[in-house]
Amino acid sequence: MIIVVIMSSFIGYELVTSRKINEFASIEIKEYNGQKLSSINDFRENSINGPQYIDPLSYRLIVTGLVNKNMTYTYDDVINKHQLYEKVVTLNCVEGWDVTILWEGVLVKDLLEEAGINPKAKVVIFYAYDGYSTSFPLDFITSNQIIMAYKMNGVVLPPERGFPFELVAESKWGYKWIKWITKIELSDNVNFRGYWESRGYSNDANQDKPFMG
Amino acid sequence: MKISQTINRIKRVIAFSLFVVTFVYILTGLGITEYRIVEPLTGGLLSKNLSFIIHLDLLIPFSTLLAVHIAFRVIAGIYSALKRRNVSVNS
Repeated sequence: MIIVVIMSSFIGYELVTSRKINEFASIEIKEYNGQKLSSINDFRENSINGPQYIDPLSYRLIVTGLVNKNMTYTYDDVINKHQLYEKVVTLNCVEGWDVTILWEGVLVKDLLEEAGINPKAKVVIFYAYDGYSTSFPLDFITSNQIIMAYKMNGVVLPPERGFPFELVAESKWGYKWIKWITKIELSDNVNFRGYWESRGYSNDANQDKPFMG
Repeated sequence: MKISQTINRIKRVIAFSLFVVTFVYILTGLGITEYRIVEPLTGGLLSKNLSFIIHLDLLIPFSTLLAVHIAFRVIAGIYSALKRRNVSVNS
């Protein structure tokens, strides 16, 4: 009886608070090069502080740290002044669900090269609007054509999915796919641990290995 | 008489253990998917990370207890049915 009550409460809460982004159902791309895509609605909302709503006009992306020149971009600067790329990549969440999406965005490498990478830099740290953070070896970002997406399935990222930018951390567990990116920092601190990493999750986050420890 | 008392005692232990394990299994499952609610509710004790560890470790005990619990019920049911049949045949 207690279990039924608890489960009912959570189901009720989920129904009340979840917002299905149904307005995109009719316009999002459903297939790409013969590959069936998941829907924008197929994600589970599991961010640390809930969806963030960022004003695109006042938004700034900062590239800083071990760079030759600190850069500050508006939302339009990022999208309109850099080559855009498309990729179909699957996000695998540690909770057991996954989504295959057509992502469109800019190469992180292009932004870093524009700022000028200091030879001492070893790590790229991403910070989000809600206080979330994560990091990668610089080599991973530059060698793997990692994109920072502004569109998914042909639709501009909704706020619930990370507007303005989400990192498409290919081959990494979902907690590396940071949303609502506001700052990219180049660092030599290889011991930096992001939000979940400092709570025991693997810093490497390779999908062929367990995510704990 | 002693055998049936022992069996009943074992059944009760299994049932109670299953209840506790089920409760923790569900709670830790929710601690993974709804960690923003469960963690503050438990005063920060049941973090997402801890929920994951406990939840994954509980799979085998939960499945085993459930199977044994169901098996006991089925066997007890068959035993009662057979006993009733024997009584009606003898009378």
